Amino acid sequence: MEISVNNVDGVAVAAVPVDELDASNASEFKRDITPVLQANTKLVLDLGRLRFVDSSGLGAMLSCLRQLSAKSGDLKLCGMSKQVRALFELVRMHRIFDIYATQEEAVRAFRH
Amino acid sequence: MTTLSSTPDTVALQESIERHARYSLGKTWSGLSVRDRFNAVALAVRDRMVDGMLATEDRFKRSDSKRVYYLSIEYLIGQSLGNNLLNLGIREACREALSNLGTDLDDLEESEPDAALGNGGLGRLAACFLDSLATLGMPGYGYGINYEYGLFKQEIDDGYQREKPDNWLAQSTPWEIPRPDEACLIPVYGRIEDSVDRRGLYNPMWMDWKILIGIPYDMLIPGYGGHTVNYLRLYSARSSHDFDMGIFNDGDYFKAVEQKIASETISKVLYPSDAVVAGQELRLLQEYFLVACTLRDIIRRFELDHTSYADFSAKVAIQMNDTHPALSVAELMRILVDEKDVEWEAAWQTTQATLAFTNHTLMPEALEKWPAELLGRVLPRHLQIIYEINRRFLDQVRISFPGDAERAQRLSIIEESAPKQVRMANLAIVGSHSINGVSAIHSELVKTVLAPDFFKLWPGRFNQKTNGVTQRRWLLKANPPLANLITSAVGDDWITDLNRLRELEKYATDAGFQAAFQKVKQFNKEKLASVIEDAIYLKVDPNSLFDVQVKRIHAYKRQLLNVMHIVDQYLSLIEDGHQPAVPRTYIFSGKAAPGYWLAKQIIKLVHNVARVVNNDSKANPWIKVAFIPDYRVSLAEKIIPAADLSEQISTAGTEASGTGNMKLALNGAVTIGTLDGANIEILEEVGAENMFIFGLQPSEVQTLRQQKTYRPRDHYARSPRSKRVVDSFSSNLFSPHEPDLFKWIFTSLLDPNDEHVHVADFVPYIEAQRQVADTFGDRAQWSRMAILNIARVGKFSSDRAVTEYAREIWGVRDASLPSPVGAFAGSGETGQSNPSAVLTRA
Repeated sequence: MEISVNNVDGVAVAAVPVDELDASNASEFKRDITPVLQANTKLVLDLGRLRFVDSSGLGAMLSCLRQLSAKSGDLKLCGMSKQVRALFELVRMHRIFDIYATQEEAVRAFRH
Repeated sequence: MTTLSSTPDTVALQESIERHARYSLGKTWSGLSVRDRFNAVALAVRDRMVDGMLATEDRFKRSDSKRVYYLSIEYLIGQSLGNNLLNLGIREACREALSNLGTDLDDLEESEPDAALGNGGLGRLAACFLDSLATLGMPGYGYGINYEYGLFKQEIDDGYQREKPDNWLAQSTPWEIPRPDEACLIPVYGRIEDSVDRRGLYNPMWMDWKILIGIPYDMLIPGYGGHTVNYLRLYSARSSHDFDMGIFNDGDYFKAVEQKIASETISKVLYPSDAVVAGQELRLLQEYFLVACTLRDIIRRFELDHTSYADFSAKVAIQMNDTHPALSVAELMRILVDEKDVEWEAAWQTTQATLAFTNHTLMPEALEKWPAELLGRVLPRHLQIIYEINRRFLDQVRISFPGDAERAQRLSIIEESAPKQVRMANLAIVGSHSINGVSAIHSELVKTVLAPDFFKLWPGRFNQKTNGVTQRRWLLKANPPLANLITSAVGDDWITDLNRLRELEKYATDAGFQAAFQKVKQFNKEKLASVIEDAIYLKVDPNSLFDVQVKRIHAYKRQLLNVMHIVDQYLSLIEDGHQPAVPRTYIFSGKAAPGYWLAKQIIKLVHNVARVVNNDSKANPWIKVAFIPDYRVSLAEKIIPAADLSEQISTAGTEASGTGNMKLALNGAVTIGTLDGANIEILEEVGAENMFIFGLQPSEVQTLRQQKTYRPRDHYARSPRSKRVVDSFSSNLFSPHEPDLFKWIFTSLLDPNDEHVHVADFVPYIEAQRQVADTFGDRAQWSRMAILNIARVGKFSSDRAVTEYAREIWGVRDASLPSPVGAFAGSGETGQSNPSAVLTRA
């Protein structure tokens, strides 16, 4: 999948380019996000398009967070729909990720 | 076409029916099948209920009312059209509208398939409670599963029960409103990964789960008078995708479809009662699916108007109907702690203050336990939470009972057996502020036999709520002639206040009223005789005593004891030439769980005895035996009004309450029964002189069992009549073509381990039956007893039961009722436009 990346004030901002991130495409996502993770330490993932995520999708995002954490970076999430947010809460992943409503807020949070 | 005499109600209804025929079904009225006509009428009625539901919701929202959520794995609803029309007060208007269209309302009502989402008493109680909640104007909602297949249809083949699937949703039902926009996601399976959160605190993450989707369907529940319309929300399981396209693309189409089917199986079928469910993963998934969907919906609704979970238990009451929804304890804790960041102690206080538990059985085999391994595999986070609840609870137990390790083991939610088990009743008790039994004796046995350690720990949490039945369904709808007779005598207030039936007492000896009552009963008996003839091609005499035992077939309910009486009467007649005092028709109906061999054998026995007796010309002027197949709510509505005698003969100490006993007494049947369940309270109400009580008391049965002092052979040797009946099962009298078919009955009756002590109760039973026959011969005396039964069973209304739950458990006051909703509500209709007309209809 094609993941476009913008650089905003030294923070990489990428959008998850699918409506559903699940067992059918989580591996593809992990593969295609890898160069972004290698090239950056501060990443904002915009989930605005995402309508459904399953445990494979959440696992893929967790993998991103761990890769960045390993090199003292961080991953912040933004743009979650209510339904996706509910799933994060359901499995306690909202406590692992830093979650913001908008890209701007997420980028700003890296400055503090 | 509209007649000149049509009322505005009739005209509007007729227009609505025709509009639905045209625009919902796409057909003209004349081209509709019976099914289509039913659908058009149901949709027209549903429109009115939707208006009522929206107005009701607005009322509750404005007053920020505390809401009651009733969780039950079963709802035995039966047919809805007639009940909804009566409660909305538009049955006669609908009858007239349909008459104008050349259709008979009775035919359409009769054509409606029963919604059989339950096995028996537990599910029917839930349905009665919903009717009462709405009638009382309370914000009370049922939550359950939208089973695609309800309880099986029973067919009889050579006396053997055959089960046929009941695909009641095959043609969909007009009563359900789908709510896909309120679907919820439910994770199951997976594992817990221990991690720390961003603040460095322990954070168990639920990983690798699979997801189920719960789609709600609402059935609207109008209260009598139409003031309040609540709903029953039933969930269907759907897979997260039509099927997994990834697997499909890889070429494994069947695996993809299998996964979809597995997800949807959750709401596919209702488990029959008495089925061995322990260890059955699908049942556990069903129970969690119900709990998770319900709680997610409760939370969604709560958050619409509230921000602080400190207010939760002030705004939400959850009643767990038996242990099936007991996972609510762990699920509510999980939501509060994991999702809402509530501290454990505060979450626990909220959980206990919100949840309440009704126990329905003392049978050890019916007390649910789940292997910890299975629960941990299906719900890994919940098992963690249950362990933590148990750890904290046992710390408290050790403080209350220092050094008493055995008591701690008995109280523990976890049974340290091999394999380790999670005791769902213990979980429900620990997590609830109220634990109730369903009759006086049952509540006492809960405290002394089922959970004495818990009672010692928390005596204030235990209470009694005797079951009840809704008089709208079981008298007003089921028995219009009797309803009209009562109304003509004492007015119609009894429809919403059953205690008003007391005013009938003064008519008990009134010759005119007795004659009218006898006429009603005869009318109902003739109708039932016709049902029997249609169903099993057996002619029965409506002048004979209709002796009725209708309920699930189960050893403890002792249909066998009833059969033993038939055999005794038959052999006394054939061998001794003793004619009974009155001719009698023994009427049975009920289903056996598909895997319950003994119960299915009892059905076979009834049929074989019937075959012998009914074909013996010497016997059949005096004795007939009828087994009416496929017992269900709509059939009960035909049998119960016609009963003279109500058989409530369970082994003392085994029936939690029973509600058939209440329905039958309400319809003027006199009870022959043991001191068991609610029979004891019926006795207190109607008086010993108006019932036939016999047999051992609960404590005596318990003593026989505990001290192993039951000696059936002594009874057998002492009583020639007992001996003859018991011996008949070892001969092939009732199984000439299947030798030794019933020999097991001979053996089990003489077994000192017969838990149901049939032989000990047999002689007292046939003596009580002799008194029944003698009394029935005196029609005035019998009528007096029957009328007093009706007059004195006001206590057994589900309105009374629900009011007690509301006041003493839920903390919900009777809502003040606004004006009736909708143009047609509250017309004071009592089922028939002309009360006296029905009496002459026969």
